[in-house]
Amino acid sequence: MNRRMLTKAEEEAAGEEIEVRREDQDKINKFSRLHQHELSIEEELKGKNKEKEELDDITTELELAEEEDLVPYKIGDAFFHVQLPQAQEMLGVSGAKVEEQIDELEEKLGVIREEMTQLKVELYARFGRTINLET
Amino acid sequence: MSDLQVKMQSLSEDFTKLQKELQEAIMSRQKLEAQMQENLGVQKEFEQLKDDETIYKLIGPVLLKQDRSDAESTVNGRLEFIRKEISRLEPLIEETQTKIEKKKSEIIQLQTSAQQAGAAAGAGGKPKAVAA
Repeated sequence: MNRRMLTKAEEEAAGEEIEVRREDQDKINKFSRLHQHELSIEEELKGKNKEKEELDDITTELELAEEEDLVPYKIGDAFFHVQLPQAQEMLGVSGAKVEEQIDELEEKLGVIREEMTQLKVELYARFGRTINLET
Repeated sequence: MSDLQVKMQSLSEDFTKLQKELQEAIMSRQKLEAQMQENLGVQKEFEQLKDDETIYKLIGPVLLKQDRSDAESTVNGRLEFIRKEISRLEPLIEETQTKIEKKKSEIIQLQTSAQQAGAAAGAGGKPKAVAA
């Protein structure tokens, strides 16, 4: 972690200490909350992408399967033997659902990051080098 | 901040970084151990399998039939990889623990010399308040 600490000389050069107003503290707290949220969504996104990858893999595998084979398809904790076309259809539905979830998460992530950038601009404008918002 | 405090800050940061590295390495090691047990279990099941029994692999929500030799070589390959990773991590963990001990003594040394310097200066002037 690269924490930029001011040297004594830099601290003196920074001049008068800027007062932390209520609104500043609120912004700092908000930034922190947003960052935590960002991390949690990134984790979720990782999981969803892995799920999508598995669905794509099995879809490809099934394309090589024999038409007469019954496919054991997991629903909840049970397996149902279904016809190949039905399994492929169900996979398609699941895949579309996961993709939708991924799009939603990515959008949320975008909004959060935008907000964080805005807060950074405002806080750096006020505090300059005396605040460190690098995550 | 005085030079002593800057040095102390830097040592503390190094210490925290090392502890984080150790933590991550230990967690990876534990995860590998669990994976190894799981794969050993599968391998054992394979040994007891009759020739006409089918092996399936769960990919997503689908159980896909596996060729017996494919499945066995996949599991064996995984086990080999896991063993290699474990033997890579174990010396790393030991090394990090050694580094942590060393860093700890560096910090204690610095604290001791700071106290001694403070005592010598204190004998002459007013004690300075040190921001923790």
